[in-house]
Amino acid sequence: MKDDIVADLRARAKPWARGNRFEDFPVGRTFRHHWGRTLTAGDNVLFATLTLHYNPLYTNVDYARANGFAELVVCPLLLFNTVFGMSVEDLSEGGGPFLGVDGLTYHRPVLVGETVYAESEVVARRGTESRPEFGIVTWHTRGTDAKGGLVVDYQRTNLVRRKR
Amino acid sequence: MEQSRGRTSPNNYFEDFKPGQVIAHARGKTVTEMDNVLLTNMVMNTADGHFNEHRMQQQARGIPGFNTRIVYGGISFSMVIGLAAQDTGEQVLEERGMDKIRLRAPVHHGDTLYAFTEVLEKLDGDRGDAGIVRFKHYGINQDDKLVYEGERTVLMKRRSPVA
Repeated sequence: MKDDIVADLRARAKPWARGNRFEDFPVGRTFRHHWGRTLTAGDNVLFATLTLHYNPLYTNVDYARANGFAELVVCPLLLFNTVFGMSVEDLSEGGGPFLGVDGLTYHRPVLVGETVYAESEVVARRGTESRPEFGIVTWHTRGTDAKGGLVVDYQRTNLVRRKR
Repeated sequence: MEQSRGRTSPNNYFEDFKPGQVIAHARGKTVTEMDNVLLTNMVMNTADGHFNEHRMQQQARGIPGFNTRIVYGGISFSMVIGLAAQDTGEQVLEERGMDKIRLRAPVHHGDTLYAFTEVLEKLDGDRGDAGIVRFKHYGINQDDKLVYEGERTVLMKRRSPVA
């Protein structure tokens, strides 16, 4: 009986696809990525401690205040990874390894409790002879704060799967 | 506030670094399933190649190392920079940027990472209490294979402020 339910689901369900492929990235296309994310003290301390990032600006509010910050500073690598994470469904979830990042600038320190958003533009794409089923795409991604001010930006390059 | 003073290393200020200096950092870290899946999910990286073992085994796509979950590259290199951070980041006031980040080989659960750093450049910058240092960080695995290289620029405290 339970197997009948699974067989029925397999027969009737239509995939709700996520992600894009190489052909979806004409140069100049822009993406306003989903959700936004409030970076909490819990996120920050967990990230800084699991990655062994021993700068007390990220884990000791007493030290952060003594150094001129009103709150714990968000570990910049958490900021980068969160902006990157929110861009993944639109840019790279369709399959293909992450190759590199260039020209990353942190425009200001972000404090715990702030909310960040992400957006991207396609800046280059090309084929690759060694892997005909993939192409190489480069995006410019911007992370912004709640007022739209730039907090981080970078160029990212990925191998991206082509449509079959 | 006073209590937080003098709780960091005495030997990792701006004055302590010289261009050309190469550092082997003290510790390694074995990247566990907990590290990768927790941090990948926490930063909302939705690519299930980092957290769906079943699909990775079923849909092995002919790229070596991609028949099991891959540690999200942003976490791998954050770990490498973290392994270098007590030495090259403890006195940092502001991280300024990163460049030429390259992921040279996939990292899997159970791999152990170690970090090396070369000091590329020092600049006085525009404030008396801190200077700019540009580092190149390298990450290797337990088989001495290069998995990461990339540059990082920081604003670092001076031990003795200059006028």
